[in-house]
Amino acid sequence: MTWAAVVHVVVSGLATGSIYALMAISLVIVYNATRTLNFAQGEMLMVSTFVGWTVLRVLSAPLIVALLVAVAASALLGWLLERLIIRHAISATHFDVLIITLGLSLVLRSAAGIAWTHDEFPFPSFFGNRPVAVGPVRVAPVSLGIIGASLALMLALGALFRWTRLGRAMRAVAQNQRAARLMGISVERVYSASWVIASMVGAVAGVLIAPVIFLSSKMGLVAINGFTAAVLGGFGSMPGAVIGGMLLGVLENLAPLYLPASIKHSVPFLVMITILLVRPGGVLGRVARRKV
Amino acid sequence: MISRSSVLLLLAVMLSALPVAAQQPGVSDTEIVIGGSNSFSGPLAFTGEQITKFGVDLYFKVINDAGGIHGRKIRTVYYDDAYRPQDAVANTKKLVEQDRVFAIIIPQGSPPVVATLDYLEENKVPLLFPYQSSPVTRGKRYVMQGMTLSDRSSKMMIDYLAGQRKVKKFAALYQDDEYGKSFLTAFEKDLGRYGLKLVAAESVKRGVTDVSAQVAKLQAAKPEVTFLVLVPGPGAQALKERQKIGWNDTIMVSTGPLTDERYLSLAGDAAEGVEGLSLWPDPVSSDLPGVKLYREHMHRYFPQNEPNRYSIAGYCAAMLFAEGAKRAGRNLTRDGLMAAFESFKAYETGILPPITIGPDHETQKQGFWVRVEQGRFKQMTDWLKSE
Amino acid sequence: MRQAALATGAAVVVGWPWAAPRYFVFLASLIAINAIVAIGLNLLSGYTNQLSFGHAGFLAIGAYAAAILTIRAPALPVPVSLLLAGLVTAAVGLALGIPCLRLEGLYLAMATLAFGFVVVEAILSLDWLTRGNDGLRVPAARLGPWTLATDTARYYLVMTVAALLVVAAVNISRTRTGRALLAVRESEIAAQASGIHLAAYKTLAFVVSAFYTGVAGGLFALVVGFLSPDSFDVFLSVDFVAMIIVGGLGSILGSVVGAAVITTLNDSLAGFQNYRPLIFGAILITSMVFMPGGIASALGKISGARSRPPRQGEDR
Repeated sequence: MTWAAVVHVVVSGLATGSIYALMAISLVIVYNATRTLNFAQGEMLMVSTFVGWTVLRVLSAPLIVALLVAVAASALLGWLLERLIIRHAISATHFDVLIITLGLSLVLRSAAGIAWTHDEFPFPSFFGNRPVAVGPVRVAPVSLGIIGASLALMLALGALFRWTRLGRAMRAVAQNQRAARLMGISVERVYSASWVIASMVGAVAGVLIAPVIFLSSKMGLVAINGFTAAVLGGFGSMPGAVIGGMLLGVLENLAPLYLPASIKHSVPFLVMITILLVRPGGVLGRVARRKV
Repeated sequence: MISRSSVLLLLAVMLSALPVAAQQPGVSDTEIVIGGSNSFSGPLAFTGEQITKFGVDLYFKVINDAGGIHGRKIRTVYYDDAYRPQDAVANTKKLVEQDRVFAIIIPQGSPPVVATLDYLEENKVPLLFPYQSSPVTRGKRYVMQGMTLSDRSSKMMIDYLAGQRKVKKFAALYQDDEYGKSFLTAFEKDLGRYGLKLVAAESVKRGVTDVSAQVAKLQAAKPEVTFLVLVPGPGAQALKERQKIGWNDTIMVSTGPLTDERYLSLAGDAAEGVEGLSLWPDPVSSDLPGVKLYREHMHRYFPQNEPNRYSIAGYCAAMLFAEGAKRAGRNLTRDGLMAAFESFKAYETGILPPITIGPDHETQKQGFWVRVEQGRFKQMTDWLKSE
Repeated sequence: MRQAALATGAAVVVGWPWAAPRYFVFLASLIAINAIVAIGLNLLSGYTNQLSFGHAGFLAIGAYAAAILTIRAPALPVPVSLLLAGLVTAAVGLALGIPCLRLEGLYLAMATLAFGFVVVEAILSLDWLTRGNDGLRVPAARLGPWTLATDTARYYLVMTVAALLVVAAVNISRTRTGRALLAVRESEIAAQASGIHLAAYKTLAFVVSAFYTGVAGGLFALVVGFLSPDSFDVFLSVDFVAMIIVGGLGSILGSVVGAAVITTLNDSLAGFQNYRPLIFGAILITSMVFMPGGIASALGKISGARSRPPRQGEDR
């Protein structure tokens, strides 16, 4: 195993890790505002990517248009779902909402299968597949492209949270909802915004990853890795989600390289359990250790 | 709270679901009812829908429009198991005991199929052409095998590569389930006959996102041939990964279930030069009479659906059933059907080589070699022998 | 009134195989098995708020343990192998529960999710014992001179075990232990302040929950007759969570009703093929929108108020 090969594998892991990070960020955004896990996150991005793909095929539009359409579709979908369904479960507990999002994931996946069949489709990429040689190391442009685009998006989100009023309002609600309401922040607006932003991030992730794992109704399952990444890094923490995602992606790739077949598939989960035991709040978690 | 009267009402509703007794299950004066548990959701939903609705049902539409078999139309009943063995068990019991089907046709996947094997054999229900390649379904009186089983595939592949083309170093990238494992075991056994072993074998999980580590390890072992025992998605990923690292000095060889137009469309130009064992003639371009007829029928009844290897498999399964039922005569019984199958000698489907069914109950035993050239499978050999 | 309902219920359960077609006897067994898991999961998640997404893992451990015992020690009577399966699973529950004490909410949920995956991987790795991907055929169980080879025989076994476990659960919930567990759910701080040893009770909940699910796993192995790693994926764990939430957290009756509803729904929708998840999902959504807190909560509203877990968006 040459070190050049290892570098290639790690870079590839960072690329999938970036997608996991984006998924984790989506989940964290919704969680921070509403204290609910959105089980349907993956399916929402899958549907949005399919919509973008349809535009690509039917109108022979360029890829950038497909991306914009996917993002717009996801924003609409997120907004609709939050307003029509989630919001109406007014007296629901967050366990109830969990089941509602579970139901949504089933409905979306099935509907996608009916609309587009459960077949798998190639999806064009902004970046090429032919490797670029950096010394003896071969790196694929698609990996670098995914990492770059994801980082750019994460920076944009960071700016949103730091410098815009909406971002500050979202942070306030995340910290203490009651106090935020008392300060005049419209919590309902923050809920809507969270769902919309999270969906849009998901759509970008979908368009980036679809060329690699192919577009299909089961593409949304990648969100499970997003959950794992979010917990690894520390739920509730944005930088934590990023670190968790990258860490997971690299771990998933290094494990088969060095470990025997019998445990390599469990490694990400074993690592997660270990980290949770040592740092119950995840790598960057802010949750204080409980003394039981 | 739950009142007494509502309990009695519930009881009455349940009692009304008692079945009406029939003579030979699934056979009445006007129709034959067959069915199966299959994947209509879950990882193999596309395949499941194609082999049943666009495969078996397509052929039966043609048959029914022409009057049926001995004056009986054929009706199908399918239930979704999403690849869960326990759901397959429940669905199959329901089909046999409630729907009273005459036979089970083309259920998919080794775990769901094996879960129902004992039950069907005990109840003497024919299990026809299960869509899976593990040899574990062999040796049952009421089972008719469908696709070429993995040990036969392996024998043909290894005999061709090691025997004819004198390849010495083999590696395998396989899916970590019964499909992958059964091929791996078969490869090891067949290579052993030539005094060879796999120099490397790497597993991937179904639904994997990245195969770079496994492909890197395989490259390090420098095999001349690398078997891909995968489904189209990961298969195409592996080919694209190979292209990414510029690993050109190995021949990628796909197993029967993978040799499929779908991985071609997913892998694009990364599929150039890939070889494999094909179990079916090209459904889109083959000139064989049966394949042309299949395309005509698909166009007539399901013009939106493109021909593919899954629906053609279901179509063939239905064709074999119809022929068996025809030979069994108007007085159709399950034992009669099985005996009729055993009478097949060089039966022409117009799609596969002539089918002779022996005591091994296997209907497909052959494949032929292909190579991807300019985005299509080019036939390189005639139908290979696996005896 | 209550007695009449219980008596009628018992009569239906006992008389079911005589009245219902064979398939519905099998289905009833499946419902009972799921109900046992739901009760176990409820003890953990409904009472002490430790939401678990890994119960398919406990089910798998119990199932394989019972199956391996039935194969390797065929002389062992069924109740013993079920008990052993439950104990083995409980031991694993203990091993998982103790480290999980320091986790809460979503972290705990993820740890249990990871546990579920690890169990399936372990089944695959230990293929000399479990036959890995090939799957394990479970022979018919023996009870004294009888072989439980028919759906009806297995039904009575399942119902007897289920009845015992339901009674045990009701008793637990009525004792000091049950009240302590409920107190933990309402407020951990208050519970601690009133002298409840938090760690002990939370661990106990894990162990009992695992025991119940392990026994259910053993029954699953006998009723279904075939085990494979594909049987115990994360979606099954999610199904169990759906059962207790739809049924109503913190309610034993809710768990049973939830299990019955989800199992029957899944079964009756099988004929809709690729529309099945669509319809099932839509039903889940509408039930939770119109019956927040689950079926037991809706029933409870008819007969008086109940305490509730935190609402959407609220901090704990």
